[in-house]
Order: sequence, then structure tokens, then C-alpha cells
Amino acid sequence: MAGNAERNPVKLPPWWTLDPVAEFRIGPRAFPGRIWTASGCFAYGLSGHDIASSEFDSPYTGLGAVVTKTVTPAPRSGNPMPRLCELPHGALNSIGLENVGYERFLQETLPELERRGVPTVVSLAATRPDEFGEMCEALQSTAAGYEHWHGVEINLSCPNVAEGGHDFGRNPETVARCVAVSREALPDRALLAKLTPNVTDVAELAAAAAEAGADAISVINTVIGLEVDLESGLPVLPRRYGGYSGPGILPIGLAKTDEIVQKTGLPVVGVGGIRTYQDALKYFALGAVAVQVGTAQMEDPFAAARVARDLTRA
Amino acid sequence: MNPSPSMVPARQYRATVLSNRPVSTGLIHLVLECDAPFGFLPGQFAMLNFTGAQRRTFGRPLSILAGEGLRAEFLYRVVGSGTADLSRLVPEDEMTLLGPLGTPFPDRPEDRDAVLLAGGVGLPPVLAWWDRHGRETDRAYFGGRDAGDLPRELLPAAWKMSIDRRQDGDDERLFEGRVPELARTDLAATGRGKSFVLSCGPLLLLQAARRLATEHDWPCFVSMEEHMGCGYGACKGCVVPLQPQPDSPDPWRNATCCQDGPVFDADDIVWNRIL
Repeated sequence: MAGNAERNPVKLPPWWTLDPVAEFRIGPRAFPGRIWTASGCFAYGLSGHDIASSEFDSPYTGLGAVVTKTVTPAPRSGNPMPRLCELPHGALNSIGLENVGYERFLQETLPELERRGVPTVVSLAATRPDEFGEMCEALQSTAAGYEHWHGVEINLSCPNVAEGGHDFGRNPETVARCVAVSREALPDRALLAKLTPNVTDVAELAAAAAEAGADAISVINTVIGLEVDLESGLPVLPRRYGGYSGPGILPIGLAKTDEIVQKTGLPVVGVGGIRTYQDALKYFALGAVAVQVGTAQMEDPFAAARVARDLTRA
Repeated sequence: MNPSPSMVPARQYRATVLSNRPVSTGLIHLVLECDAPFGFLPGQFAMLNFTGAQRRTFGRPLSILAGEGLRAEFLYRVVGSGTADLSRLVPEDEMTLLGPLGTPFPDRPEDRDAVLLAGGVGLPPVLAWWDRHGRETDRAYFGGRDAGDLPRELLPAAWKMSIDRRQDGDDERLFEGRVPELARTDLAATGRGKSFVLSCGPLLLLQAARRLATEHDWPCFVSMEEHMGCGYGACKGCVVPLQPQPDSPDPWRNATCCQDGPVFDADDIVWNRIL
């Protein structure tokens, strides 16, 4: 939040030696930094781009990537209202993957991100594994010459979409199929698989994704949750369940990151509950190669920029 | 055609509470001093959040009542734990403010008079429009629950007021009933030429405002309220169903209340999906 740094000076631990705004590689691609925004929390990376601050030139300052809101083969109008429920340590959401569809995204949004020089990772979700391949092919043929499009994060885990997310993300073979068809279409961009925490063995899924060609694993997506309205006795969200995110899921994200790093040694992009540089440091301490700031970015368009700044040694 | 006002850029501010006091039995007037000059257009809002341990997952979206120099003013009602915390702020407390956000009310079409209808905590954007654009031939109406609910010190003398129920000793000039009835009664008595309607308040008021406008073939703009997450178009958590594009097979299309709104042309909204 604005002014926090003034009240509490940043204290970086001696083991922290990375430069969060220096180039580093994931698979075939060099990213301009290790602090990213998480999918779904900063729209397509264009909303709020012109918000001013006394501390930063723009919300993009120091960012290694903006992971876009998830794009699907056809446009989706999303779930009924209310879609959000604020909780003491985060929020439940049930947006329902509302998006413009990948065709319009490719025609209108991605060129604009390129024009503005926003380092971009495109998040994709589909209802059939083959559709990941089709969307990646279209991406590759539209944006092969783009300088700022760095890769794809396949969303295997969004817990809001009845016909999608769950099944893909819970079965190693399905994860592998989705990754394999995407990999085939993406020769020179980073391919990340975003996994759900709502499974028994996340490392097994990570290994399956890597085996099929993923360059890194993003963990975690939101945790399935529910909130009850005491007055009515009914769930607050019309679809009952939502995805829980925010500071409350930090320990879960850290545990899943650790599980994957310990069991597989794969590069992990840590996501879940990061609001401050200290939160991000915890992921890095466990071996994450980069981190994503999600829910905090919704409250503060400069949240990720703030983390990048605070993690940079003077 | 309604002229579009030129936008004021949004900014993240640090703000200090100057005052936070009730101006009626239900409404609280919050005045902040920002760390940089603050501007806005009537109909826009800001996301306010606490600092330190009190900081919430999301800011509170509040319509802007006034803003000039370093001052930003708001009006709110305690409806949940967030606004309850707001009501406990005292001078010199610190907050963060993100704003101004959203699409404002249009400027006045020169050939039309304004008919303004505000209900309860829907007062700020309508009063802000009046403060900036109001003229003698406009008509403005405010409705409160009862006489105590009327923020008298903020309401201009030209505004007419209604209350749901009159009690012994209440000002006899207060209209007993809802704002739309007051507006109809008054407009019938005074007569009206070409006008346009701006409204903010409960959904039923907005719909009544729209009916009134439709009957006279006047344009109508309403400021909508929705649960919000980010306030700046990032999360798609606050959508309002609008009429679909002409060639679309869909029965509606979503617009964000925070960015495409909160002010919408009342004819664009698919009301039966909301009510």
C-alpha cells in the first residue's frame, strides 16, 4: 500500500541475492523480471495502465510479466452476480472465466500489449485438450514476431468452470495431453502449466506436465471455498463454491511449491497470497524462480511493482 | 446527444481524514485530504481502504460527493463491517484512495433541463452534478427514509425532499412518499420542456426514473451500485447486463460497473436480469 515502505523500511535477508528485475530464462525464453501479475487479477494487463502514483511511473514498473486473464476458445459471459465475496484474509471469487474469446484477444488485445511493450504471458483454458493446441497455433501464427509476448500459461485448474478446470488439472494423463499439444505449437516461447492445489499429489501432476514439455509450473490457483450468508442460511455465491485467494492461501501456495521443488526439482513460479516482498521472499526461499501477485493487485494496481521495487537491492 | 466530459486521470493517493461525522441519522460525511491535488467528474467514485492491520482485501467503492484542491468528500451509510470501520475513522487517520474511477454522468445537453432524482446514499453523484452544472430551470429531488435521514446541511435550498413516512412535528413542506411520486407531482404542477434525467439510489428508484424519462421521451442516465473487487476493470467482479450488440445471438452482454459504469444509459441496461 502507498506509504508502507516509508513506515517499515525494507529489510532483505542476506541469502537474497537475485535481482528481481534482471533477465532470466524459463525454457526457450528470457523474461525481463521475476515479479509477475497473476492471471485474472489484472484483466488483460491493460485496465489501469494509466493510473498514476507518486511512487511508480506505471503499474508495469519492474514487472517481469503480466499473465493475462484466461482466454478460452469461445467468448464467455461468466457467472451470475455476485461473483465476489470478501473475507477477512482474502476473497472468494466465481467470475466464471468471463473473457472475449481468443480470436478477439489475438486481434485486439495482444497487439495492444505488444505496442505498449508489456511483457506478456497468455493464460489459456479450454474444454478439450486439442483446443489448447489450436489456440497455441493461432497465437504462434499471429504473434510469432512479437517481442514482448513471452509465453503461455495453461490454466488447468480454474475451479469455477463446471465443464473445464477440475478434470484437466486432476488427472496426470490429461495434464500431459494439454501440455503436449501446446508445446508442439510453441517452439520458442515459454510454456507454463498452472496447477490446482485441490488435489492429493500436486508433484505427480507437475512431473506429468514437465514430461510432456512444460518449461515451468505455476502453483497455485485458487483453493475451493464456500461462504455462508447467516441471515439466509445459503451460500453467498450463486454457484455455491468459489476460488479462495488472498493472504489466507499463502501457506498453501508455499506448501505446494515446496512439494514440487522437493520432489521434482522443476522450475516453479509461485502464486498465492503474495501481498508484500516478504511473502514473495518465502516462495523464493523455497526455490521458486519467479512469483505472481494476484489478489493484492486488485486492491493496489502497483502491488506487483511494489514487490519488485522492494526486492531490488539499492 | 449528450456531451462526454473530459476525463480526470486516476491516481493512487495517500489521504488523511479531516472529518468523519454524521449529517443525518443514516448518512456520514467523510472529508479527506489527499497527498496530491484531487479532481473528479460527477458520477465517478473512488476505492478507499484502511492502512495497517485494518486494511481490507478490497477497497470500499464510494461515490465522490465533492473534490477540490487536496480535498475529497464522500457520503456513506453503514451497511456492513467495512463501512462500520469507516464510521470509526477519526481526524488524522490515514487511508489510501484510488480514484477518480469509472464513467461519469454526461455533461448537460445545452437544450435540455435536468431532472435529478437521488435516494438515500445515492445522493453524492447527483449532488456533485448539480454543484457543477445545475441551473435554475433544473429540478432536483431527494428522498430519505424519514425527516432525520435528510442531510439538510448538504441539500441545496432548491431541492425538493420526500420522506417515506411523515411524523408529528415534521416539516410540512416534506412530501410524504417516494421520490418518483414527488417528481411526478412537482413536474405536473410546474410543467416541463425538453429535459433529461439523472438518478442514483435504490434499484426501484432507478427504474422509476427510467419510466418517467421514457414517458416524456427524455434521455435517462443512472448510476448503478454493485459489489466490487478492484474498482478499475481488472477483476470482472462487478458486471451489469447491457443490451447485446445488434448482430449478437446473446440475450445480453456484460459491462463492468466499475469501468464501463457506474453511470449507464438506462435504456442500455437489461433490467429483468438484475431485478
